[in-house]
Amino acid sequence: MGKITYKRLKGSQNMRQRLLLATLKSTPVLIEDIHADDTLPGLRPHEISLLRLFEKLTDDCLIEINETGTKLKYKPGIIVGGSHLVHDCGVSRAIGYFLEPLILLGLFARKTLVIILKGITNDSKDPSVDTFRSTTFPLLKRFGVPSEGLKLEIKSRGVSPHGGGEVHLAIPTVQHLTATMWTDEGMVKRIRGEAFTTRVSVQLGNEMIYAARGIFNRLLPDVYIASDYRKRSEAGNSSGYGISLVAETTSGCCISADTTVSYPRGDEEEDIEGEEKKELIPAADVGEKLASVLLEEIEKGGVVDSTHQGLLFLLCALCVNDVSKVRVGKLSPYGIETLREIRDFLDVQFVIKPDPSTGTVILKCWGSGMKNLSRKTT
Amino acid sequence: MAMDSGADGQSHKAHRSRHSGASAKKKTKAKNKDQNSDQKQQNPKAFAFRSNAKAKRLQSRAVEKEQRRLHLPVIDRSYGELPPFVVVVQGPPQVGKSLLIKTLVKHYTKHNLPDVRGPITIVSGKQRRLQFVECPNDINGMIDAAKFADLALLLIDGSYGFEMETFEFLNILQVHGFPKVMGVLTHLDKFKDVKKLKKTKQRLKHRFWTEIYDGAKLFYLSGLIHGKYPKREVHNLARFISVMKFPPLSWRTSHPYLLVDRFEDVTPPERVQMNSKCDRNVTLYGYLRGCNLKKGTKVHIAGVGDFSLAGVTGLSDPCPLPSAAKKKGLRDKEKLFYAPMSGLGDLLYDKDAVYININDQFVQYSKVDEMGGTTNKENKRDVGEDLVKSLQAVKSPIDEKLEKTKISLFSHNDRKRRKAIFGDGVDHSNLKSTDEENEGDEDDDSDNDNDEGENDRSNEDNESCSGSEFSDGDEEDLKSEEDDRSNEDNESCSGSEFSDGDKEDLKSEEDGMGNISKWRASLVERASKKQNINLMQLVYGKSASTSNTSTNEVKDDSENEESDEDEFFKPKGQRAKNSIEGLGGGNINTEDCSKSTKISELKNWKEEEVYESIRDRFVTGDWSKGALRNQMSEAKTEEDDIDGDFEDLETGEKYESHQKDDSSNGGIQKEDDDAIEERRLKKLALRAKFDAHYDGSESPEEETDVQNGGKFHRSQANDSGYYDKLKEEIELQKQINIAELDDLDETTRLEIEGFRTGMYLRLEVHDVPFEMIEYFDPCHPILVGGIGLGEENVGYMQTRLKRHRWHKKVLKTRDPIIVSIGWRRYQTTPVYAIEDQNGRHRMLKYTPEHMHCLAMFWGPLAPPKTGVLAVQNLSNNQAAFRIIATAYVLEFNHAARIVKKIKLVGYPCKIFKKTALIKDMFTSDSKWLGLRVQQFEL
Repeated sequence: MGKITYKRLKGSQNMRQRLLLATLKSTPVLIEDIHADDTLPGLRPHEISLLRLFEKLTDDCLIEINETGTKLKYKPGIIVGGSHLVHDCGVSRAIGYFLEPLILLGLFARKTLVIILKGITNDSKDPSVDTFRSTTFPLLKRFGVPSEGLKLEIKSRGVSPHGGGEVHLAIPTVQHLTATMWTDEGMVKRIRGEAFTTRVSVQLGNEMIYAARGIFNRLLPDVYIASDYRKRSEAGNSSGYGISLVAETTSGCCISADTTVSYPRGDEEEDIEGEEKKELIPAADVGEKLASVLLEEIEKGGVVDSTHQGLLFLLCALCVNDVSKVRVGKLSPYGIETLREIRDFLDVQFVIKPDPSTGTVILKCWGSGMKNLSRKTT
Repeated sequence: MAMDSGADGQSHKAHRSRHSGASAKKKTKAKNKDQNSDQKQQNPKAFAFRSNAKAKRLQSRAVEKEQRRLHLPVIDRSYGELPPFVVVVQGPPQVGKSLLIKTLVKHYTKHNLPDVRGPITIVSGKQRRLQFVECPNDINGMIDAAKFADLALLLIDGSYGFEMETFEFLNILQVHGFPKVMGVLTHLDKFKDVKKLKKTKQRLKHRFWTEIYDGAKLFYLSGLIHGKYPKREVHNLARFISVMKFPPLSWRTSHPYLLVDRFEDVTPPERVQMNSKCDRNVTLYGYLRGCNLKKGTKVHIAGVGDFSLAGVTGLSDPCPLPSAAKKKGLRDKEKLFYAPMSGLGDLLYDKDAVYININDQFVQYSKVDEMGGTTNKENKRDVGEDLVKSLQAVKSPIDEKLEKTKISLFSHNDRKRRKAIFGDGVDHSNLKSTDEENEGDEDDDSDNDNDEGENDRSNEDNESCSGSEFSDGDEEDLKSEEDDRSNEDNESCSGSEFSDGDKEDLKSEEDGMGNISKWRASLVERASKKQNINLMQLVYGKSASTSNTSTNEVKDDSENEESDEDEFFKPKGQRAKNSIEGLGGGNINTEDCSKSTKISELKNWKEEEVYESIRDRFVTGDWSKGALRNQMSEAKTEEDDIDGDFEDLETGEKYESHQKDDSSNGGIQKEDDDAIEERRLKKLALRAKFDAHYDGSESPEEETDVQNGGKFHRSQANDSGYYDKLKEEIELQKQINIAELDDLDETTRLEIEGFRTGMYLRLEVHDVPFEMIEYFDPCHPILVGGIGLGEENVGYMQTRLKRHRWHKKVLKTRDPIIVSIGWRRYQTTPVYAIEDQNGRHRMLKYTPEHMHCLAMFWGPLAPPKTGVLAVQNLSNNQAAFRIIATAYVLEFNHAARIVKKIKLVGYPCKIFKKTALIKDMFTSDSKWLGLRVQQFEL
């Protein structure tokens, strides 16, 4: 065997994109100084869980972590995928954290990916599983992913401290992604959503819905928010409630927002935002605030919301050798980081042009021509 | 009429048809036939279908044939000028390959080529360039040639018949994507008997057809006249080449590649002197083909290895196509050719200099002086004798004298190579060298005047070059001024460093276009450019730091790791300092979160003005405004932004009127614009498609088909199907790509899509093994291929392999073979297996006689469906067929389970009821095998 040339990186930032791109491009990476200065140095539990997930999906991958966990050596293998896989995502981050890289990985796998993910389904930090169903999947269709195979079933919901949720995910494989010209935002024609409650009263869900509708009603009559009341085994291990909203436009764009209210996670993270204090925010306020968040996302413009910017850029960069053109609202920090990682790994740069009249940004890129190499030929 | 003809000066001669001879006979025959057919047509019922079933069968067959003809349309992503097509001339030795190239070059350029070494680029038409390459006769050269050939001319010795090389080459071509092939029969003058000749032609043609397809073109070159092929036949062959179309091949359209036509060693001479076997730095020149080449791409030099590019520069075309002016044919001046390895061609463009090569015969010496000079130096002969000599001899005596007196500056090669330097990017070393040359010239008294003439000319060249550059600059400036209006508007709206005064100034500039305004225009342009890439800079940082991470690659060593462990204990501050090298600068351990909205800072969406502000984003709002917002993107950024304060300015009526337009029926107009734009793109796509289609169906048969009513309808119906839609989509995508890429400026475009195909590139590669220099042979073309995603890794590949039917023996597992996959050739040891019915892969010791089997081997990976070719031995002196097997890649796998059936023989030493212990099954004594006897039920 020859010597392996590692791409050297630092810090735990953008771990997901780095590992994902390294796997897709099959470049070995060496990440150093991972949380080196913290009181508890080394990889966080969710990062380790992510590595385990990558190991599960790929064949012949090599992961080495030093004793303190501050240095990671990752040599990617061939993405295999497959069905009957189970992964426990732990309780330090929600399933949404794992889903974002998992979707892209699944598209370029050898076999159709069918996996059961266990952990926290709804969280305030990561996009909830409802959002994936309502917004992310339509986004993928834009890039030529067949809609038949895409499936995400929420078997049970689990919220923050103890989790206990379970989702079944199925992702088809593609030969390659097609480029898209997607600059038409359209106008919002309907708003849909889902409010869920786990181990709390149904009434809280209705309150959220009522409050959110109160805001939307001035702008749009076509608002429908379903309520999802979970109990017993379907409700996970802890109590909480949340809402996810999605605005559909006339040109088929989906703009989403979601949040969850639940008790914070033990002593590990003190510096979480103010909303997660000992007593929870009243449901009516949650509904109202989230409706405002959605309206703000709509105000920003763009064909996707700020949460999906990173994914959108990744998809554009992984297209065949054609020009993709997309319009987004203000670039989010995550989006910018993703752009940088794409440049470093895939050698794809975007042309970024502001459109000052609408306050949006238009990005153009020449796809990297990624092909699914692991798919078997007949 | 009479007046007109008088004005024209001459009337054209009318066509006089032949009344006798072969062509007249042919014509009457055809006429008779036509009449016959007409007679047949008089009773069409007689030839209608009698039976329903038969009609159905025939119809379905016709449809099936039609469908089989169709191929999945492939997008051709090469925009702009096409690179020259590569014509590989291949054949067994002594068949006339170089002679064919020489005559073809002579036909195209009217130049005599002394010898064929390396690729020869010529301009063959207004839109077309060709690159002739002679295929070397060893198997490596043939494999490489097959990978870059667009057209293969297979030369066959008609008097001898087919030789193995032809078939080997055909098989290689087939594995690596089948480019166009044309056979050429030579040595036909050796036949004395006409009948025998005819028979042989027929036989060879049919054999050729079975190998390729029925109707494959086989060309006959009847013999030699004055050591050259007959002019008429070469002309015909050139016609065949010039109308040939080259379908894109899937491997090549997805990988960039270069056929190197110039190759130089640029290692610092000190290093070579220190160690003659040190790794070298080389530069490779050639046209980029296949697909776009990005700067970070790794390349594989066939037969040498994988390298990352130390530098890529686009050079101006050494053999450019003639200008697009409308005229018939090519002028002599435009009949360029370029063959640096053969030592021919006029101009050599380097990164920072241009060399002009002048053939000796074209250099005009001031003869009188020269003669005087030479005679002075020589032992003072008689004046009369000299005169007589000069009168008698035309060329050679002078040359001899020149050689004797060492006047010829460049005595080593047959050409004069001189450097003309451009103003801008001059290397200092180059400058120095030219200075030195000049000094040397001055020192040399004897040939001073001689040189001066040349110097003058080079100076002139210099001037003309620089002049043209200046003019280019002017043009750019002008353009920028034109563009400025939009740019400057952008600025005024978005940020406004420029005051209104600027605007007015610019206006005046447009009117006046004075010299003074030029600097200003360029300033403004620069500023606007900055504005444009501002966001890009924010995201990507400065261009210098583009590859800050990728350069930090390290070789994985155990020592390296240890040293890292040593550094584990470090002061906290130092660590932090180290970490701020990166682009972000800040915390490198920020949390990885895609959600960024904070719930705490929200507007109060209950207030009316707040929610009314986004009213138009909803279907309940103003649709025209909403539409305007969406259409804004192109029109806005290019033209001008509608903004509040802009309306207040009274800059000019033109603006205002435009403004009014927008405000009055803005939305609708914009929509219209967009629709028009889309329609335009579609039209372009349709046109391109039609062109392609029309070119394809130029053959006379189809035209006659079109005249037939029924067939016409059928084809029509077929065309408007799925296939057509696919084609249309592809064309549309292509037009969109072109449109989007064209409105970027050059540098950004280069960064976005890389170097375009058709560009002449200079690749610099470092640390190449010295053998590449030492054993460089211009007759062996060098192929440089770009490595695609994931192809630089190594691993196990599973291939579906079949032993070649002409190879005598079966192949044995773990016998080393040399395979050619993608761009690479390497040696590996395969393990053969076959898939059983239960999905188990059973190992085979030998490949099956006539069946496919699986072959598993380790090596650099190639994507699935890539063709594989295997040879056992590279040596030339094998009589037998050298290709042993062909295959294609199925998948690559980390581990594939291949099981082996073994038979173990031993003696039972203890026997129980259902179990027995067996002895001596293994060579080592200590091993026993317990065996449980199964009872089979019968």
